Amino acid sequence: MPPATVMAQAADASGIYLVLALVLPVVGILLNFLAGGRYARVITLGLLAAGLGVAAGVVEGVWRTGAALTYLPGGWLPPLGVKLRADGLSAAMIAVTAIVIFAVGLYAPVEFRVPRGKPETRKSLSFWILLLAIWVAMNAVFLGNDLFNLYVALELVTFAAVPLVSLSGTAGTVRAALRYLLFVLIGSVLYLLGTALLYGQYGTLDIALLAERVRPGPGLWVAAALMTAGLAAKTALFPLHLWLPPAHSGAPPAASALLSALVVKGSFFLTVRIWFDVMPGLTGFAASQILGAMGGGAILFGGIVALRQARLKLLIAYSTLAQLGYLFLMFPLAAGALAAHSGVNLALSAGLYQAMTHAFAKAAMFMAAGLIAEAVGHDRIADLRGIGRALPVTALAFGIAALSLIGVPPTGGFFTKWMLLSAAAATGQWWWIVVVLAGGLLAGGYMFRFISPALAEAETPLVIQVPVARGRELVVLGLAIGALLLGVMPQKPLQLLQIGRAPNPVAVWP
Amino acid sequence: MNSVSFISSLPVVALAVPVAMVVACLFGPVRRRIPDWLGWAPVPALAAAILTAGYPPLVLEWAPYRLMIELDAPGAMLLGTAALLWIAAGVYAGGFLQGTPHREKFAVAWLLTLTGSLGIFLAADLSLFLLFYALVSLPAYGLIVHDGTATARRAGAIYLGFALLGEGLLLLAFVLLAAQPHGGTLRIVDVVTAMSVSPSRGVILALLIAGFGMKMALLPLHVWLPLAHAAAPMPASAVLSGAVVKVGLIGLIRFLPLGVALPDWGHALVGVGLTGAFFGVAVGITQANPKSVLAYSSVSQMGFLASLIGMGWSAGDGSVVQVAAFYAAHHVLVKGALFLAIGVADVVGQNRFSSAVLWPAALIALGLAGLPLTGGALAKLAAKGPLGYGMVGTLGAWSAAGTALLMLHFLRCLAAKANPEGKTAASVRLVLPWWGMVVAALTVPWALFPRVGLGTIAEAITPAALGKVLWPLVVGGLLALGLRRWGSRLPEIPNGDVAALGGGISRAAAGIGTELERADQWVRRWPVAGISLVVVAVALSAAMLATR
Amino acid sequence: MSVPTVLGICAAFLVGVGLYGLIVQPRPLRKILAFNLLGSGVFLLFGVLARRGAAAGWTADPVPQALVITGIVVAFSATALAVALMLRLFAETGGTSLQDDPPKAVKSEGADA
Repeated sequence: MPPATVMAQAADASGIYLVLALVLPVVGILLNFLAGGRYARVITLGLLAAGLGVAAGVVEGVWRTGAALTYLPGGWLPPLGVKLRADGLSAAMIAVTAIVIFAVGLYAPVEFRVPRGKPETRKSLSFWILLLAIWVAMNAVFLGNDLFNLYVALELVTFAAVPLVSLSGTAGTVRAALRYLLFVLIGSVLYLLGTALLYGQYGTLDIALLAERVRPGPGLWVAAALMTAGLAAKTALFPLHLWLPPAHSGAPPAASALLSALVVKGSFFLTVRIWFDVMPGLTGFAASQILGAMGGGAILFGGIVALRQARLKLLIAYSTLAQLGYLFLMFPLAAGALAAHSGVNLALSAGLYQAMTHAFAKAAMFMAAGLIAEAVGHDRIADLRGIGRALPVTALAFGIAALSLIGVPPTGGFFTKWMLLSAAAATGQWWWIVVVLAGGLLAGGYMFRFISPALAEAETPLVIQVPVARGRELVVLGLAIGALLLGVMPQKPLQLLQIGRAPNPVAVWP
Repeated sequence: MNSVSFISSLPVVALAVPVAMVVACLFGPVRRRIPDWLGWAPVPALAAAILTAGYPPLVLEWAPYRLMIELDAPGAMLLGTAALLWIAAGVYAGGFLQGTPHREKFAVAWLLTLTGSLGIFLAADLSLFLLFYALVSLPAYGLIVHDGTATARRAGAIYLGFALLGEGLLLLAFVLLAAQPHGGTLRIVDVVTAMSVSPSRGVILALLIAGFGMKMALLPLHVWLPLAHAAAPMPASAVLSGAVVKVGLIGLIRFLPLGVALPDWGHALVGVGLTGAFFGVAVGITQANPKSVLAYSSVSQMGFLASLIGMGWSAGDGSVVQVAAFYAAHHVLVKGALFLAIGVADVVGQNRFSSAVLWPAALIALGLAGLPLTGGALAKLAAKGPLGYGMVGTLGAWSAAGTALLMLHFLRCLAAKANPEGKTAASVRLVLPWWGMVVAALTVPWALFPRVGLGTIAEAITPAALGKVLWPLVVGGLLALGLRRWGSRLPEIPNGDVAALGGGISRAAAGIGTELERADQWVRRWPVAGISLVVVAVALSAAMLATR
Repeated sequence: MSVPTVLGICAAFLVGVGLYGLIVQPRPLRKILAFNLLGSGVFLLFGVLARRGAAAGWTADPVPQALVITGIVVAFSATALAVALMLRLFAETGGTSLQDDPPKAVKSEGADA
């Protein structure tokens, strides 16, 4: 019989928001299939707006109770039943997802709107349905508390993301989507293999129960290695990043924003769950250094290759590759903290804060690049001189997002770098310090390659082929300001991140 | 009561005014008129510098940050003179930019840099200091590349690279400072006290000196300075050399534990400083562009300041900050004025050139070398104390001779570049700030000297005191005559000296980039990626098994 | 050697063949087939676990069987999506090669600031 402690967390009334987070999008998808046509956009936007309320409810519930929110559908207890659980990490990521997806929905360009009297297009209906699909999939990843449910959620994310890559239907994008799908399927199967091994040894896949039962041993380690490798493939961690540049640069800008900001964070989140909740401290120092080395390689490699790109969207895609490396630095930093018997919360918070900040900044950046490409008709950096004067609001949004990626105070990126450097200094792992600082310099370099000519004056002023709606520019600016706000007011988000974790609170700012 | 609280809030007003002006630039009509109002923005800062020195710190709790603004005596000296320079340069800029394209962008970059430049002297806690450091470093790029030429862009890129490098080093230093056990605040004086007795003191000091030394153009991180000054328009060069460079100085003053005698560090700083002092002179005399000459003079003067601080540090004498700040304040005024002189020389006709530009410029320029009865003489006199009378004191005096040589060379270049026909109406807005700065450079040091406890005026005008500062001038004059005679034999060093080697470095870097791009295309081939996946899985399991 | 052990070795073999096929085979259809082999291997492993985990009164643990059913659905959807993409690729280009057009030669450019 499952231990009674599973029921000990009082089922707070806010638990209903966890169910709504999963049910609302699915209802939306079904309604979109039924109504279709022009109504898809309205239905989706309405539900996304409601989704902001749901996310707020989850955050408020977690904040108020100071513990994780849980919900047991049907009242069944694990390991037979499915438990939905939202701790601080989940609540923060759910909020970020809701905001970013809503912004993408508002931003969606004219080609995804069906005017009155015209028949619906495959592209527009698919976009709105996939938007909701990504939303429900991400929520499932953040709320899942069972390794197999998380596998299903991860597959949902993939199935929703792959068609987004090939939305425009050209041969290149279809090829990129197929390559993406086939490669991450290897990752999925490796992950599944790992769960099979875990189940075989411990008889359960529920995270809380597993955490009680796991013991260090070869079986555990092989399972952990398989799952981590599979998830690394899904997150496009260097050197497993073959699918990321063509997929992210070939997709329409709204889709690229989602892919870079949210989709890759799902598998990262799962890696965090496994390393910190299922088998905390059992994976060892050397393995964490390997993950960190891959992350460091991503930062340096992605940064240098980004410097050489000629097209703006490819530059931003390689920038994503580099920024994902920062996420994986948290693993060796946490392992170092464990070895030094200090709390892991600083490293954990640093990694998640990077995930949140990067989501806002990268989404804003891709959407800004999309606006530029629409307005001017191309995205060759060499021919974008003077775009700052032509599209000032967009350029401002891009600039703020770039400052966050470089890590200039007072943006969220700066705060993340501060936390990473503090964690590295505290554990004496000075090599990660070098990596983080070099990454900042490289980010400055490749952002400079675009921003400097953009702010300069062109001899012949750029001609705007297609005027860009001011509302869409403001949405992009809003997301960029979100990244800024995470740096100016980091107190509350950091405290939220630590709810539901073992005590050892991070002094937010010493 | 009300007037007192208004005065004590002047620092905040001083920072709020330029920020408000930037925000107002969002509105078109305001944006078009802003370049004419640039001179007004620093006025509250000047008032704050005069009135609020020594007031208790202003604290703003903005969770989780605890922001503190405090003005001590050295900070007040630097803030006041910097504000004077910004006002004069701002008025000059208004006239200079008249009718030129892109003046609004220049004005926005100007105001942002101004905010950072003023704030850096006021910041009393780590987070505000970092914020203002970013504000004073990054928007200055917009000032440097204003002309849009290829040289300007190159200078701007090099400047930005160095700025980001310095920021990274300082960020790490600040992280280490904040990581020490301390009383719960990040007040600069507290963390520095904690650092002076901490085991990681060496690393932190190295990072701080590297970061602030880069900003202060200490060798060998000085290459950005001549390039930036030559490329920037006149008012921007004036504030870059006058105020922005002093950010490094205020950093050293605030963050080095000068009260703790550390002879090793102090002597190292002295060495670096004196080398820079002579290097600046050596390269400066080979330059023909008066802006480059002044830039190398700044390198030299900053080196001298560093050696001053180093000598005080070796002895554990905390009062050297007063001397250094006084010296630097004088330099702010003089260097800014000389840059404005270059601009005015372009505008004023030949017949008025000598009286309007050359003689006043000569007066204050030689003041930098210690011409008696100028503010510079006071500065040199005050500097004699910490430098002592040993080898360092002698070298310091010789560097004054070098400065005299360099300044005479500058005056020659200035005369050579003077415009034979001036503009028909030399704009008041260009000439008035120049005269204002000349007057300030001559009078302000005399006003400050007794106030900061460096001695009385009576002491400063004794014949013995005058004699001490005279012989370097004589030597410098003789060397200048020699330069006139044999100067053509000197090698031609390009502006930015070592930066010319950068071409080779960037070619090598491009080669590495190409190789990495090829490597990327290889790694992204499907079989390679697939095998990498298997290798990663195996490596992870091996690593976990190894550390059982 | 008991039946579960033999089946376990079969599962490992299938996983190995599937992985080899996915990595080495260049044609997408073969990769999809290899993926299905790989999936089958994992499902077989689940079956072995079900047998081994049989508690008193049951012939097999029901949980892994539920996992296998879900996994089959997931693998089926993945296969369907992949095949659909492949068909679309064929319709667009007349072939199913995953190779992009040869990338333009990597030029050594001077570092442009």
